[in-house]
Amino acid sequence: MRFMMLMIPAGYETAAPDALPSVEAVTAMMKYNEALKEAGVLITLDGLLPPSTGARVSFAGGKPVVTDGPFTESKEVIGGYWMIEVTSREEAIAWAKRCPASSNEVIEIRQVHEMADFPPELQQAAAGFGELQGKPGR
Amino acid sequence: MRFMVIVKASRDSEAGVMPGTELLAAMGKFNEEMVRAGIMQAGEGLHPTAKGARVKYSAAQPAVSLGPFNFNSDLVAGFWLIQTKSLDEAIDWMKRAPFGGGAEIEIRQVFSPEDFGEALTPELRERGIRLRAEIEKK
Repeated sequence: MRFMMLMIPAGYETAAPDALPSVEAVTAMMKYNEALKEAGVLITLDGLLPPSTGARVSFAGGKPVVTDGPFTESKEVIGGYWMIEVTSREEAIAWAKRCPASSNEVIEIRQVHEMADFPPELQQAAAGFGELQGKPGR
Repeated sequence: MRFMVIVKASRDSEAGVMPGTELLAAMGKFNEEMVRAGIMQAGEGLHPTAKGARVKYSAAQPAVSLGPFNFNSDLVAGFWLIQTKSLDEAIDWMKRAPFGGGAEIEIRQVFSPEDFGEALTPELRERGIRLRAEIEKK
């Protein structure tokens, strides 16, 4: 099963466009990332620039409306993520608990949809999606 | 530049209502266009928060809570990873996404090593490059 671990740092919703983590935080996180990799569970990972550098597109009424960041109404935003392959939600939780996160941070763990989750007619409509991503079989 | 396009949850996605064949087919077509244009790197849907968990960090033990989580507009239902020349190009692509009324997406730039400046020491940078190379080998 694939799980996404979403890092949600409190305060990142109002962070300056050039906000960066400290050397200490990056060093500790790299060690954790390497542990995930060595255990063979890490598929990929990324960090996201602050929302003040981003944009939102909403489709109310079917027409796209663009809003530039920061998004003042947001209570929480994503700071980054890990994609992992484990055998259960419990195993994903156990990995999240080992993360050297600080007390303003929350990690949300979410299972990723696999093609097998869809009923046959939907699988057919989405046929070839795995190949599109260059990841046959997913 | 790489961007993560975060698709926000709706009450339907949180209730586990799967997209219909029509929407899946339209999304499939949109994905194919992005892949052909060399834009799309990945795209996934997430199971509802009912099957997820959160880990909150503090000086003591990390605290785990199991989903579902109270519905709010900050919850995530899926994402794309895309590569474009600018935020504007990312926005232009996403305005064409076949979403109905009420949907909202957030576009966020993904950190690359050069964004970190001096916080990313040469040693950390080297470790990061090695980690990615090993992930991609798998």
